[in-house]
Amino acid sequence: MNGWILAATVELGGGGAAALWGVTTGPPARRVVAQNLTTSAVCPALLLLAQGYGRPSYVDLALLLALLGPVGTLVFARLLSDDLAGERPGAWPLTWTAAGLGAAVVLALCVAGAPGRATVKLLVIGALLISGNVIASRALAGGYRGVRGG
Amino acid sequence: MTRRTAPRAALLAAGELLAWWAVLALLWLVLISTVDTLERIVGASCAAVGALLARTGRRAVSWR
Repeated sequence: MNGWILAATVELGGGGAAALWGVTTGPPARRVVAQNLTTSAVCPALLLLAQGYGRPSYVDLALLLALLGPVGTLVFARLLSDDLAGERPGAWPLTWTAAGLGAAVVLALCVAGAPGRATVKLLVIGALLISGNVIASRALAGGYRGVRGG
Repeated sequence: MTRRTAPRAALLAAGELLAWWAVLALLWLVLISTVDTLERIVGASCAAVGALLARTGRRAVSWR
């Protein structure tokens, strides 16, 4: 057990449990927002675990989650667009808090590791995570309703 | 009668493909664990295919 693993545990125990609670209870609008925030909660924890166990290849898991999580949310936004039309679900304070958490974790890992290709990879993951989450949140809130085919 | 592509359009297309290829090849080099000759060859090939797909997708979205 080291500091990285402890941080990942706190992150998973706090953010992951909160996301699970949000997904399993309440109206659909709340559930879909919580489902979107799951990516932001779990992805930084995976990065912290990779650092904690000293296995850089585990970072690929976080990369894949950062890429596919928002895509999954976009599918939900499309499929549930009729149900969510009147609700415009959104939780912007939470969304930006999660984005800040992701940025803080990525920055901490960048500072901890030697600069090089791994640093660039971390920054790519961070950019994917934050931009994907913000775009998916905006899609859920109906921000792209006027877009052709959206 | 054969339709000839304007040189300017061909140049623009080549430039766009080259830009996509450069970005995708760079991404490949960043994301792999060890850089060696085989990885470079495979990465360059995949980036070439990806560049074609990216341009096709971009044209499909922007109706041109």
